Amino acid sequence: MIEYAIIIPLVFAIFLPLLDAKKAAIVSAISFLIPMFISLLNILTFASYEVFIENFGAPIGEFYLLVDPVSNAFGFTICLVSAMVAIYSLPYMKHRFEEMVHSKEITNVEREFKKYWFLYNVYAASMLLLVYSGNFLLLYIFLELSLIASFLLIYYYGYGNRQWVGILYFVWTHIAGVLALLGFLIVAFESQTLAINNISKISFLAWLLIFLGMLVKLPGFGAHIWLPWAHAEAPTPVSALLSPLTVGLAGYVLFRVYTIDPSFIIAYRDLILAFGIFSSVYAGLSVFKQKDYKRLLAYSTVSQMGYVLIALCVGSAGLLGLIIQYMSHAFGKSILFMTAGALIATYGLRDLRKMGGLHEYVPTISNAALLGFATLSGVLTIGMLGEFFILVGVAELYKLNLAVIAAISLVFILSGLYSFYTMKVIYYGKPAQLERPKISRLLDAPLYFIAFFSVAFLFPPLSTALIEGINYVLGGVMP
Amino acid sequence: MADQVIFLISLVTLAIAAAFSYWSARISMILSLAVLIVASLSYFKMLPTLIFLVAFLNVLSLLALKSSQLKGIDYALVSFMLIATLLIFYTSDPAMLLALFVAASAPTYILIMIGERMNIDIGVKYITFMIFGTVLFILGAALLYYNFEHRSSLIYSLAMLSLITGLAIEVGIAPAHEWVPDVFSTADPVPVSIIASLAKFVPFLVAYKVISATAVSETQQLLFLIAIIAALSMFVGNIGALTTKDPARTLGYSTVANMGYVLATFAAINAGEYVYFAIAGGILQLFVNAFGKIGFFNSIKEGTSSTCSWLLSASFIGIPPLMGFWSKFLIIYSLVFSNYLWLAILLVLNSAISVPYYVRLARITGKGWKPNITNYVVLVASLLMLITLIPPTWIVESVMQLRW
Amino acid sequence: MIEVLAILFLSPIITSLPIALAWGLEKRPPWADKLAYLSVFGLFLSLVAAIYILLNVGELTAESEPVKYVIPWLPAVNINFVFIFDYLSKIMGTLTAFIAFLIGIYGLEYMKHDYRLGWYWFFFNLFTASMLLTVYSDNMLMLLIGWEGLGIASWGLIGHWFRDDDHLSYVGIIDRKVWKLNMFWSPSSGAWRAISTIRIGDIPMFFAVGAFMVLAGTLNISEIDWVALEHKIGFTGIAILMIAFMMGPFTKSAQLPFSEWLMTAMTGPTTVSALLHSATMVAAGTYLFMRLSWYIEPWHAGEGYEVIYAVVLFLGLASAFYGALVAAGCLERKVLLAASTMSSLGLMFASTAASYWVGKIAILVGFWYLVTHAFAKATLFLVAGHLIHETHDRFCCGNLELAKKLKIAFIATIVATLCLSGIPPLTAYWVKSAMDGVMHSLDEHFGIFPLILLVLTSAVYSAFLAKFLALNFLKGREVEVHAHGGRVMSFAYALMVSMLLVLLYFYTTTHEEPFAEFLHEGFMVSSFAVGLLVLVTYLFALRNPSIKALSRIGMFLSDRMYLPFLNDYIVPKIGWIMATIVDCGNRLIDYICHSAFPKFFEIISYSLRMIQDGRIERYLKIVIGFILVVLVASTTVGW
Repeated sequence: MIEYAIIIPLVFAIFLPLLDAKKAAIVSAISFLIPMFISLLNILTFASYEVFIENFGAPIGEFYLLVDPVSNAFGFTICLVSAMVAIYSLPYMKHRFEEMVHSKEITNVEREFKKYWFLYNVYAASMLLLVYSGNFLLLYIFLELSLIASFLLIYYYGYGNRQWVGILYFVWTHIAGVLALLGFLIVAFESQTLAINNISKISFLAWLLIFLGMLVKLPGFGAHIWLPWAHAEAPTPVSALLSPLTVGLAGYVLFRVYTIDPSFIIAYRDLILAFGIFSSVYAGLSVFKQKDYKRLLAYSTVSQMGYVLIALCVGSAGLLGLIIQYMSHAFGKSILFMTAGALIATYGLRDLRKMGGLHEYVPTISNAALLGFATLSGVLTIGMLGEFFILVGVAELYKLNLAVIAAISLVFILSGLYSFYTMKVIYYGKPAQLERPKISRLLDAPLYFIAFFSVAFLFPPLSTALIEGINYVLGGVMP
Repeated sequence: MADQVIFLISLVTLAIAAAFSYWSARISMILSLAVLIVASLSYFKMLPTLIFLVAFLNVLSLLALKSSQLKGIDYALVSFMLIATLLIFYTSDPAMLLALFVAASAPTYILIMIGERMNIDIGVKYITFMIFGTVLFILGAALLYYNFEHRSSLIYSLAMLSLITGLAIEVGIAPAHEWVPDVFSTADPVPVSIIASLAKFVPFLVAYKVISATAVSETQQLLFLIAIIAALSMFVGNIGALTTKDPARTLGYSTVANMGYVLATFAAINAGEYVYFAIAGGILQLFVNAFGKIGFFNSIKEGTSSTCSWLLSASFIGIPPLMGFWSKFLIIYSLVFSNYLWLAILLVLNSAISVPYYVRLARITGKGWKPNITNYVVLVASLLMLITLIPPTWIVESVMQLRW
Repeated sequence: MIEVLAILFLSPIITSLPIALAWGLEKRPPWADKLAYLSVFGLFLSLVAAIYILLNVGELTAESEPVKYVIPWLPAVNINFVFIFDYLSKIMGTLTAFIAFLIGIYGLEYMKHDYRLGWYWFFFNLFTASMLLTVYSDNMLMLLIGWEGLGIASWGLIGHWFRDDDHLSYVGIIDRKVWKLNMFWSPSSGAWRAISTIRIGDIPMFFAVGAFMVLAGTLNISEIDWVALEHKIGFTGIAILMIAFMMGPFTKSAQLPFSEWLMTAMTGPTTVSALLHSATMVAAGTYLFMRLSWYIEPWHAGEGYEVIYAVVLFLGLASAFYGALVAAGCLERKVLLAASTMSSLGLMFASTAASYWVGKIAILVGFWYLVTHAFAKATLFLVAGHLIHETHDRFCCGNLELAKKLKIAFIATIVATLCLSGIPPLTAYWVKSAMDGVMHSLDEHFGIFPLILLVLTSAVYSAFLAKFLALNFLKGREVEVHAHGGRVMSFAYALMVSMLLVLLYFYTTTHEEPFAEFLHEGFMVSSFAVGLLVLVTYLFALRNPSIKALSRIGMFLSDRMYLPFLNDYIVPKIGWIMATIVDCGNRLIDYICHSAFPKFFEIISYSLRMIQDGRIERYLKIVIGFILVVLVASTTVGW
C-alpha cells in the first residue's frame, strides 16, 4: 500500500500551485500524512516486500521499491516532519514573503506561494522516494532532485547573501552526490547491476568514493563548513527539512551500502570511529561560540551527524542506533528549527545576545524547544534509545577501552551541555525587553505533534515494533 | 540507393531554394524546411531525428533575425549542414567522410558573418582558425588511413595527435580555444547558436569514425595526452567562465568546457565494449550542448521564462534526470571503466565549478516570457532536456547499431 | 497488577496535565489554579498504589524473594520493563509517594500565588513519577528512563523562577565576589549547574549500562550473574565498568567533587528542595547503589569489587565530612540544609559500601538511615520554606518571638533536629549506632579511620542542626513577620515530623531484622558514648550558634572551601578555551574553502581571460605553439 502512498506527495506537487496558499498548506500536509500513517502501520506490522518497477538490464539493473522496516522508519520520519513543516510553512512563509515584498525583492505573495508549494512538495517527496528506492541509481536521482529543489528554495527565499549561500550549498552537495555516483558506477561495473538486492560485493574503491561523498553530505569534519551557512540562511521551514532529514540521508545510504558489504568499514573501523568522534566533539564545541540561533542549531546537526558515523562503525547494535539516531535527530532538530523560526517570525530575532528569558513571552515555543533539546540529548525520548544502542555497539566492539569510553562519553555529554546551555541563554534568565506576542497556533502546534512521537517512540508498542523490525533486517545479530 | 536519390533531390531543392532567395526569402525557407523534413524522414531514427531538431530550431531562430544580409540563403545553408551531418552516420568511406567534414564546416564561414550588420572582422578570425583546423584534421585523418595500411608507430602518433589538434582548433578546445569567446561575444547570437550547436557534430562524428576505423593497439600514451588536453579544456572553460559577466562570452567558455567533456570520451576509445558508452556519452553531450546553446543564445536575444532558463542550466550542471546528467553519466561511466578515474573525478569537480556561472546565466536570461518565435525555440530546446526522463538506453543501443 | 502499576506511575503525570495545559492557554481560565488539587490527588492515588504494593505483594522481610512483573518492551534485544518488588523497593516506593504527597499538600498553600503553576505541578509530579519508576525498576534501561526523568524534572524545578528577578530565590550573598568569581547564583544558573553536572555523570553510567548488556546479556539487576561477570572481565574490567556506572549515582547524589549543583539547587521553590533532598533525586543515587549491592551481594563477590566498594566508602565518608563542615559554616537556611543532605548521603554511601566487608546488614543500615533522614530533612525544609515565607529572608534569622508565632514550626524543628542528630534514645540514634558498629567492623581492613570520620561527622552534624534551630528560633536577629496563615503548611510538616516518632516506635519495638540489630548496637557502651558526644556538641551549638572568633573559617566553609571555582571557573575555562580553538578552526576552514579557494579560481579566471585581447596575431602564436608542443609530444610517444 505504501508504494502508492509515497507517490501522492509528488503528484500533489503539480496541483498545489493551483490552490491558494492556505488550502495548499492543508493539501500538502495531507499528502504527507497519508504515507505517514501507512508507514507507521507498516512499522507495526513489520511490512517487508519489494515492488518491481522496470528492468533496465545490465549494468543498471532493476528499478524497484524497497519496503522494509528500515525504509519504513526513515519514511515515517520524513513524512511526519514534512507534514508538520508544511503546516508550519503557512504562517512562516507568509511572514517571510511579506518581509520580501517590503524590501521589494518580490512583488506578489500569492504567486511566490505557488512556487514555494511546488518546490516544497517536490523536495520532501524526493526524500521520501529516496528511502524507498531499491536501486542505487534511482536513489541517486532522488538525492539530486531533493538537492535542486532545496537549492532553489534557498536561492529564492533564503536570508542574507542567499544566492551565494545557495550556490555554496549546491556545489558542496553536488560534489557529494556525484562522488557517490562514481562509487555506484564502479559497483555497477563489478556487479552488473545497481539493484540493492542483487549486489553482493562492493570493492574498496567504490566504497571509498561513496563514503567520501556521503562524508561531505553528512557532513564530517572539514567538509562540515558548508552546513552552517546553508542551514542558517535557508528559509526556516527549509532548514527544518534540510537539517533533520536531508543530511541524515547520507547515513541511510551508508547503512544500505554497509548491509550489502561492510568490508570497508570493518577494515578502517578505528580510523572512522576516531574521525566520527572528533567531528562530533569539534562541532559540539563550536556550538557554544555561536551567536545566531540557527547557526547554533546547524553546528549541533554536524555534531549529531558525528553520532551517525560512530554508529556506523560499531556493528549491528550500532546500525540499530544509527536508524534511531536519524529519527531522534530528525524529530528534535525539526522542532528546534521551528522554534528558531517562530522567534524570527514573531520578533525578527535570531541573535542570541538579544535574547534571554524568552520563556516569559513565548512559553509554548520555549517548552517545545525543551522537548527538542531533550530529544537531542536523549532525555526521556527516542534519543535515549539511539544513544543506548550506539553505546551497546561501542561496548561490544571496544569492550572496556578507557580511551574509547572517555571519548564517546565526551561526545554525548557535549550534546547535553550545549542543549541546556542554549535553553538557559535563550529562554531562561532575565527577560529581554519585549512584548508578549500573539502567536499563530500553526507556529507551535505542529512542534508538539512531532514531540509526541518523539516521546511515544520510547515506549511500547512503537519502540517494540520498531526495534523488532530493524533487528529482523539486521539479521537478528544482537547481544 | 534510395538514400542517394533522396540526397540528390535534397541538394537540388536546396539549390533552387538558394536561387529563389533572391526573389523571396520565404520560399527559400519553406523549401529548406521541406528538405529538412524529407531528409529526416528518410532516416527515421532517434539520433538523426534529434539532429534534425537541432537544425530545425536553428532555422526557426534564423527566422527571427530581422535584417540578415543573406536572408534566404541562410536557411539553405543550415539544411545543407544537416544533410551533411546525417550522411556521416551512413558513410564509412574515408574520402566521403572528409568531404562531408569540409561540406559541413564551410557554411559556417558564411553564417558567422551575417547579422544586423556584416561582421567581416570576426569572420576573418573565425576562418583563419578553421583553415588551420581543417588542414590539420584532414592531414591527420589521411595519415591515419595510411598508417592502417603501413603500420608505423611514429606516423600513428603524429597522425592521431594532428587529428586531435585539428579537432581542437575546429571546435574550440583549450588551448586552441581563443577564437571562441571572441566570436561568441561579438557575432550575432543567432548564427553563433548555429555554430555552437549543429556545427559541432560533424568534427566529432568524423573523428570517432576515423579513429575507431584505424585503431591499433598501442595507443595508451596517446590517449593519456588526449585526456590531459580534455582536462585542460574543462578547467580553462569552466574557470574562465566563472568571472565572465557577459552571457555570450560565458557561453563561449562553457562551450570550451563542454568540448573538453566530449574530448574526454576519446580517452575511453579503446575500452572494448565500453567504447559505445563513451561515444554515446559524447554524442549526448553534444546534444546537451546544442540544445543548451540554442536555448541560451536565443534567450540572450529575447529573454525567456525562468523555468526554461533554470531547466537549461540544471541540464548543463548535470542534474538527473535531465539530459545533461545522462551525458555526463555515460562519459564518467566509460572513463571509470577504462581506468581513467582521475579524469572522471576531474569531470565531477568541473561540473561543481561550473555551478555558479550556470546559475548566473539562468538568472540573467530568465527575464520573463514573451510569446514570440524566439521564445518558443527556447521553450522547445529546454523541454528537449527532459526527454531523458526515461533513462536513455536507446542512445547506447543506436550507437552500437551504427558502424564505426 | 498492571492496573496498580498504571495508577502508580501514570496518575501523577496524567492528573498534572490539566493544570499544565490550562495554565498555558492564551486566556487563562479562572479555575486554572484549582486544578492543582487534581495534581495532588494524583499523588494521593500514587501513594495508595504504593501502599497496596507494600502490603499485598510478597513478604516484607529483608530475606524475602523479590516479586517481579514483566511488560514486554524491546523483547528483540532482551530488554523489558521489569518491575521488582522487594524489601528495598516497596519501602522506598511508599516513602517516596508519601513524602511527595505531603509536600504536594504543603505546596498547595506555599505555591498558591506563583506565576507558573502549570509548569510547577507538571514537573513536580513528573519528578515523583520518575522517582517511583527508578525505585521499582529492575531493568537498568527502564531505570534510566526514570533517572533521566529525575534529571530533567529537577532542571525544570530548580530553574522554576527562571526570570531571575526575585532575590529571595538566589543562593549566596548578592554581589559578593571572590577574586573574579561571583559567589551568588540565580535560579537559571542553578538549573544549568544541576543539569550539566548530572549529564556528566549520566553518560558514563549510560555506557556502563550498554556494557552490561553486552557483557552480562541482560539488564535486570537481579538476574545478572555478578560473580561470573567478574570472572569474565577481570579485575580492571570490573573496576572500569563499576566506576563508570557509579558516576551516575555520584553526580546525582552530589558526592565530591560533584556537590556544587546541590547547593545552588536551592534556587528552586522550597517544596522542590524538600522533595529533592528527602526521597527523590539525591536519594536515587544512594538507593541505586543499595539496590545494586543488594543483588551483587558483595560479601560473596570476589576481589574485583573490593576496590569499588573501598572507593565508594571513602568518597562517601569524605563527602559526609565535607558536607558537615560546609553546613556548619552556612548561614543560609536552605543551603545549610543542602550541605547537611550531602553529608547524610555520604554516610549512606559509606554504610552501604561497607557491606563488602560487613554483609547485608550494612545495606540495611544505610537504607534505614535514608528513611529516617528523608522524614527529618523533608520536615526541616518545609519549616525553612515556611520561615522564608513569613520572614522574606533566606538567611537564618528569628528569635523567640518568631518561635511563639510559629509554634508548630518550632516544635517540629526541635523534634526533627533531635531525632536526626543521633541523640539517644531518639530515632536516628539507633541507626547511627548500627552505623558505628558497621564502621567499627572495618577495623581490620582500614583501621579506625572510617569510624573516626563517622564520629566527627556526627558531631559536627548535630552541631549545625542545633545551630539551625538556635539561629532561626532562639538567638537569631529580630525580624518582621508577615503572617500568611500557613495552616496547610504546618499540617504537612507536623505530619511529616510525626513520622519520625513512628519510626522510633518501630525501631525500638519490632524484633525483626534489622531493627533487632539496631537495638543491640544501641545498647552498647561505645555507641552510647558517641551519642553523648553528639548531645554535647548539640547543646554547645545551641548555646553558641555563631562564634565571632571563627567567622573567617566560617566564611571559608560557607564558600564551600572554594569548590565553586571548579564548577564555575576551571571547567568552564577549559571548555571555553577549547571552544575558542575550535571556533578559530572553523573560521580558518571557512576562509580557505569559501574565500581563499574561490579567490584563487578568480585569479586564474582573470588571467585566462587576459589571453583574449582580440588580437589574432597573439592567438595564432598560441595555436602554433600548441601545435608544435603536440608535434614534439607525438614524436616522443611514437618513437
